[in-house]
Amino acid sequence: MNEQRRQILQMLTEDKITADEAERLIDALERQQPESPQGATPRPNPRPKYLRVVVVDNSGGDGPTRVNIRVPLQLLRAGVRLTSLIPPQALTRVNAELNKSGVPIDLTQLKPQQLEELIDQLDDVTVDVDDPDTKVQVFCE
Amino acid sequence: MIPHLVTVRHRRPGGRWLRLYVPVLPVLLVLSPLLLLAVLAGLVACLATRVSPVGALRGTGQLLWALPGTRIEIEQGRTAVLVSVR
Repeated sequence: MNEQRRQILQMLTEDKITADEAERLIDALERQQPESPQGATPRPNPRPKYLRVVVVDNSGGDGPTRVNIRVPLQLLRAGVRLTSLIPPQALTRVNAELNKSGVPIDLTQLKPQQLEELIDQLDDVTVDVDDPDTKVQVFCE
Repeated sequence: MIPHLVTVRHRRPGGRWLRLYVPVLPVLLVLSPLLLLAVLAGLVACLATRVSPVGALRGTGQLLWALPGTRIEIEQGRTAVLVSVR
């Protein structure tokens, strides 16, 4: 009970106001303090736990193709941590093959911490591809 | 928490569903001798490729622990495959 309501009830018990007046005052008080109940603090949005990939493809003649994948973000983090175990000589060979394929990416420069940060920032990622025949959605929930 | 139940559902072109429920812990217990061999083979592979065996074991454990909640559904025409890990 807040202070103003308490004062109104106090005045009622002291016969300073009638019950009708007290009711009107409490109504007015409630109108001044809409929606938010007392003591309620706005709850922050819960952090997403899953990465969802939804693909609907209607281009095939054999009916639509639907893919619906839900992967825990924790699983992505665990997978990213596993990449730190790849031996340097294997990374060098992968780099050479990537270069040969026209993708000059140096994987040795990619640190596990950076990958984890990338996963952490995935929360806000939403990808929507709308094609007449195909629809792709990637989001976190 | 490690996965408890893996559910695999397969819809054949005829429309009939094949459901397979795999309780992970009992299956792991039954296959524990093979699992031991697999761990040993993994350790040898780690030493041969100069990968830290402890790190590999920890990474695999984390991967296993993070699996519950995974759900994969693929549907094409009258055929469908659903895999769910709980």
